Amino acid sequence: MFESTLKPDRAKIDWLMLAAIGGLMVLGVFFVYSATMANEDVRLQGYYLRQIMWYGIGFAAAGTLCFIDYHILSRWAVVGYWLTILLLILVLIPGIGTTQGWGARRWIKLPMFQLQPSEFAKISLIFVMAHFLSRPVDELKIPRNFFKALGLTVLPFVLILKEPDLGSALVLWPMCFAMLYVAGTPKKFILRLLAAIFIFGSLLVGDILFAPKNFRIPLEGYQRDRLLVFFGQDFTPLDATEAEKTKARADQRDKSYNIEQALISVGSGGVTGKGWRQGTQNVLGFLPRSVAHNDFIFSVLAEEEGFIGSMIVVVLYSVILFCGIRIASEARDRLGKLLAVGVVLMLFSHVFINIGMNIRIMPVTGVPLPLLSYGGSSVLCSLIAIGILQNVYIYRRSY
Amino acid sequence: MFSIPKNKRLFVLAILLTGALASLSYKLVDLQLLHHAKLEATAEGNTHRSIVRSPLRGKILDSRGNPLALSVPAKVVCADPTLFGNYQRDIARLLAPILQTNENYLAERFQPTTHEVKGKIITNSYVVLKRKVSLETWEQIHHAMTNLTFAAEAGKLRESEKTFFDNLRRKAIFPTDDEVRLYPNQNLAAHVIGYVGGDQQTGQNGIEASFNSQLTGIAGWRRTETDVRRREMVAYRDQDVEPRDGMNVILTIDAGLQNIVETELVDALQKHSPISISCTIVRPKTGEILAMASLPNFNPNRPGASPMEALKNHVISDVFEPGSTFKIVVVSGALNEGTVKLSDQFNCENGSFFYGGKTLHDHEHYGVLSVERIITKSSNIGAAKIAIERLHEQKLYDYIRAFGFDQKTGLSLPGEVRGIFAPLKKWSGVSIAQIPMGQGIAVTPLQTLMAMSAIGNHGKLMRPMIVSRLEDSEGKIVVENEPQETRQVISEAAAKEMVQALKTVVSDDGTAPKARLENYTVAGKTGTAQKAEKGSDGVVRYAPGKYFSSFIGFFPADNPEVCISVVMDEPKNGHYGGLTAAPVFTAIAEKAARYLNLKPDLQPELSLEDTKGNSKPKKLAKN
Repeated sequence: MFESTLKPDRAKIDWLMLAAIGGLMVLGVFFVYSATMANEDVRLQGYYLRQIMWYGIGFAAAGTLCFIDYHILSRWAVVGYWLTILLLILVLIPGIGTTQGWGARRWIKLPMFQLQPSEFAKISLIFVMAHFLSRPVDELKIPRNFFKALGLTVLPFVLILKEPDLGSALVLWPMCFAMLYVAGTPKKFILRLLAAIFIFGSLLVGDILFAPKNFRIPLEGYQRDRLLVFFGQDFTPLDATEAEKTKARADQRDKSYNIEQALISVGSGGVTGKGWRQGTQNVLGFLPRSVAHNDFIFSVLAEEEGFIGSMIVVVLYSVILFCGIRIASEARDRLGKLLAVGVVLMLFSHVFINIGMNIRIMPVTGVPLPLLSYGGSSVLCSLIAIGILQNVYIYRRSY
Repeated sequence: MFSIPKNKRLFVLAILLTGALASLSYKLVDLQLLHHAKLEATAEGNTHRSIVRSPLRGKILDSRGNPLALSVPAKVVCADPTLFGNYQRDIARLLAPILQTNENYLAERFQPTTHEVKGKIITNSYVVLKRKVSLETWEQIHHAMTNLTFAAEAGKLRESEKTFFDNLRRKAIFPTDDEVRLYPNQNLAAHVIGYVGGDQQTGQNGIEASFNSQLTGIAGWRRTETDVRRREMVAYRDQDVEPRDGMNVILTIDAGLQNIVETELVDALQKHSPISISCTIVRPKTGEILAMASLPNFNPNRPGASPMEALKNHVISDVFEPGSTFKIVVVSGALNEGTVKLSDQFNCENGSFFYGGKTLHDHEHYGVLSVERIITKSSNIGAAKIAIERLHEQKLYDYIRAFGFDQKTGLSLPGEVRGIFAPLKKWSGVSIAQIPMGQGIAVTPLQTLMAMSAIGNHGKLMRPMIVSRLEDSEGKIVVENEPQETRQVISEAAAKEMVQALKTVVSDDGTAPKARLENYTVAGKTGTAQKAEKGSDGVVRYAPGKYFSSFIGFFPADNPEVCISVVMDEPKNGHYGGLTAAPVFTAIAEKAARYLNLKPDLQPELSLEDTKGNSKPKKLAKN
């Protein structure tokens, strides 16, 4: 902490990134408001006020985090990791985990809010991976260590998949990869892992699209449907009767509905958009009200603020991500660098998957858009992640 | 802004991130800039709705403002088969008694069907269950549907199941606007009014057809936006044009008079069982048709329930040989030309006159008759001789045309015919003798009535008029019809002489003493025409025992208020116009005079003390 006073030309915190965060939070408040004001029942729940509250709490948490050197924090990484694993197991137990009326059991009901352990699992995975991979580079050449690192990711991945929450589970992998890669894991390990995942992924997609019923991998019905929707496939099996076909078509129409309406919202926004709270898709409820303020908040913004608005969002995220990369490159040690890379990849995965599903380059998975989507756990988690970045930045010169 | 990371792998990572973000941006350019127009149209298609606001069809009113035809709003009950799940049977069972239809039919309609449009498979989400459902019935349906509960709802429901049941209750059955055409007086004046039919409710006959465009009105529209549940967002309404309801058509027909006429016709129908019987009342001074009836008739509320024959308006579409009523043409023509006087004598050849290779007959053997007596007795030979000796072919032809025969009268009802009349150069040698007695020419009852009215109206032929005015839905007059004089056919003096002759028809030794009225002097003429039919050998000849019997008369004779024609096709129990049609005329005339409150021109014998005096009715001063 003294060093920064010794070198006053170095800013203590990354103001540029902070400005981008501030910009996103302002947009977040406005568009959560816009997405929830049309329907009275939804409006009365005061989503935007609660979002502001979560911004406050998240900011406080992130600020507090900055006072403790990340080296000290990472000593607790293993403890934190296993605590999170415990939570991920608890959430699967019906009495403790709740479904909130959705198909998946993802939340633990607490007096104040619904805790979503999968969000925090991302943070603790970043810490534990950074902690584990920050050992000397030579040790990473030992295959056992490589597999241990993989194991650290596989455990929460499987548990989150079990909820099921495909999106949150998948997000763990880009993080894991990037951290393995930047840590200095030998190239051949990485390539083999990539090849394995590619083969596995192709098999999975192939199975979903083409396999006959008996040979299918047991996936949740709606997950299969989402992938089918993404690939534009008909739901009907080849040997279906006319009645089954009719039903399947109705199913497909319902299932494709969200994504089609999102696409229409984004495209109809044009260059300048229809104006705040003027988006017909949003206000008149064509974009389903249950998802407009969280998973599909980007569509609301893109419809109402147009290409300019959506590019501002992309640029703001880019600023955060590249600030993160810079922080990683300026970090004082490999632990800091890996933490920063983990956070950057976590944020990036969310942004890419969420915006991607809004504009149909990714299948629909329930991944929130950091800081814009409504949701306590997500906002808290994103801000804590930012706090970690700032922490790495602040303590970059403390040798 | 950002320095290139020193770490090579970090640099690779940064490149990858840049690539990914660039691909997002590219897709945004693609959607929001390149495909914007198409997707914007789709978004508008989501919300924009154009609704046609259909106008209410105008009323048809009688001359006193009584409604003869009116429209009330109703509903078309429709269904969206995509929302029924497996509950087709249950909903059908619920609605069948309310809609009064077959349960199986409904269940069938509720089954979703698909069709292909441009390679896309579309499920039909709009079927019509029943049209013209009253608002009360629709309320019942709506109530029954929204209060529906299902056994499956007892347990805990998933979100999608809740939505399904909500949709089933609220959206599966829905209404669109419709209207019902009502004819409150049932059969009354059915041929004049006509009826409506078809999906568009267009007029099919009568006034409904001839004034269809005025009655229909002009549709309005509304362009608006709806939310995802298709509820209209009033704030987003950008065009809202009120429909203009159809105009009301006010007829010259008087429903009260029409009722009198139809009641009497029904009596006559029972007495004489003719194929058809018709009666028309016209006001000679103006040409206004006060009543027009033709039996058998139909109920315009259910036109399909009657045979096709009943839909025919015999007054304007029947063509028959007029018989003796046609003698008024030749006699008034000759009087007008001044070539004959009422007192001129003609030898009626004792009932048998050989002319042009044919023998003409009278029904009685008359010797020498004055012109007036020729009318009184309705002598065929006398009429023929007037034409042959005093009027000649060209003049006869001209007067027939001048009285409006061989032309449509111009009444605004569809289906009028002009009759059959050969041009002069096609006349045979005997035509000049036959036509004056109403043979060899075919006319409509309306043409004859108008000709008779012209004589009553001092020789002025009027155009018959059935619509007095058109009003818009607020009662403002749009078009007001004025009486139209077609032409002065004969001079006032000739007409006066003709009326004098026609008055004698109802005297005791005339052909129609039964047409005499107690309080009014009647001028009229009987007609008894043999029907020409095509025999089994294909030759057209007069059919024995089949007659058109008619009586046309007006009163008070010197200043007529009404002219009434009664025509029967093939009456049984007597066939002479003076015995069949004349009593019907009298019955109608007496009631009509009372109804119209006409001023009598005769003083009936009032008291017993007066019996020793003149037994004939005494004439009142002319007014």
